[in-house]
Amino acid sequence: MSRLHCPFCGPRELREFRFHKTLPTEPGTAFAGIYERIDNPELSVEHWQHVEGCRGWLRVTRNPSSGAVLETRLLGGGVA
Amino acid sequence: MRHYSAWSLLRARLAGNSHWQPLWSGQSLQQAYDVVVVGAGGHGLATAFHLARDHGIKRVAVLEKRLVGYGNVGRNTTIVRSNYLLPENHYFYEDSLRRYETLSRDLNYNVMYSPRGVVDLALSDDDFPGLARRGNALRLAGIDAELMNISALERFCPELEPRRSRRFPILGALVQRRGGTVRHDAVAWGYARAASALGVDIIEDCEVTGVRTRGEVATGVETNRGYVQAERIAFATAGHTGMIGTMLGVPLPIETHLLQAMVSEPVKPLLHTVLVYVAPGHAETYICQSDRGGLVMGGHLDGFPSYTREGQWDRLEDVVQGAVELLPQVGALRILRQWAGTNDMTMDGSPIIDRLRYDNVFVNAGWCYGGFKAIPASGAACARFVATGTAPDLIKAFRLSRFATGHLLDERGGGPFPARQ
Repeated sequence: MSRLHCPFCGPRELREFRFHKTLPTEPGTAFAGIYERIDNPELSVEHWQHVEGCRGWLRVTRNPSSGAVLETRLLGGGVA
Repeated sequence: MRHYSAWSLLRARLAGNSHWQPLWSGQSLQQAYDVVVVGAGGHGLATAFHLARDHGIKRVAVLEKRLVGYGNVGRNTTIVRSNYLLPENHYFYEDSLRRYETLSRDLNYNVMYSPRGVVDLALSDDDFPGLARRGNALRLAGIDAELMNISALERFCPELEPRRSRRFPILGALVQRRGGTVRHDAVAWGYARAASALGVDIIEDCEVTGVRTRGEVATGVETNRGYVQAERIAFATAGHTGMIGTMLGVPLPIETHLLQAMVSEPVKPLLHTVLVYVAPGHAETYICQSDRGGLVMGGHLDGFPSYTREGQWDRLEDVVQGAVELLPQVGALRILRQWAGTNDMTMDGSPIIDRLRYDNVFVNAGWCYGGFKAIPASGAACARFVATGTAPDLIKAFRLSRFATGHLLDERGGGPFPARQ
């Protein structure tokens, strides 16, 4: 995994993006969401921001074991 | 096991070096053990060694998915130090450093401990109070730490040329003289050899796929070579402990991230100490020179969860930029090798040694990027925990319940963001 496909900018080097940990937002789930992780080595859904590009927020689905990017979507319902 | 000494080396030489034996021989997997240790890395082998030597447990097996020392014990940058701020951490790592000082003798195997000093550089007036606070905390605990101004640093490390004009001028440093490097592979091999001599079975190519239980007690482990009965099970699989949690259905405050390291082509001695450089807006760079002459460098995590063991190019670039900023003369060298290891990143950056769901299942995990320097203390403490059922005081703070009770050991004060630690 050395590139991400930004819906606006196309395939770009990974260094242009920043990974953001997905934190729980529903009330009452803060502790479990942070400290009680059930690890899934095959699937990880994450938020990334194209900080050195369009600054768009992306939802990236990856396989952390193989490094494959399964899906990249724009967050917030914008149109690319 | 043949005892190594100057005499044995001489005798081997006279015999034409023909009688050398394997460090540990291929033992066969038995059906039942008193303790099964999962993972033949530094922590697993050290735990097995102490179980056999200090607690007289005869039937111990270390099961390893791949090869002895395949994981992080062979992937780190070989640095040992105990200059942590928090008492729970610095007493523990100091115990480890003291054990490293005598490890070659204890294992009868040269681990090449080199107390060449670890230098944390101060680049701004703001850095000094932070380093002074850490240094004072260490000195109060009886651990060596020295806050150096630029003149003292120039005397300690003239090759750094601290007064050279730099984008981020160096103002001083916090130095731990007893810190330094240890040959990492030798630690794995030395523990494996010593444990094997005490009757520990080290089984490679043996992957644990599950734990068999009866009620609230674990009875053994399922492996790719069949079922192995065990009175007690200790997981020392840092880097993949998240998977162990998934296997046992236990949620853990651990994410797996990559940390990479690299080594340059070998050159004549140009750096005699370990430098740690954190420039504003840069990733961290730590750099030392191996006995072979290569400059070993490492930095921050890659920044997102991964199991791939493939480092990211931009992080490598960052680390090298830091190194060249610090020591411009290394800019002419070429990188020989680059590699990455998987790190158990806990949410507070400190390790976990505790029971895992069952009374007779133990986990030694969450070493973040500091596992290598912890090996001797972790092995001794974990063995005592497994043998007696009571955690020694040294590791009481590393219990898993600290996340629920709020007794976090957050060395950086950065919050639960492993990617940024």
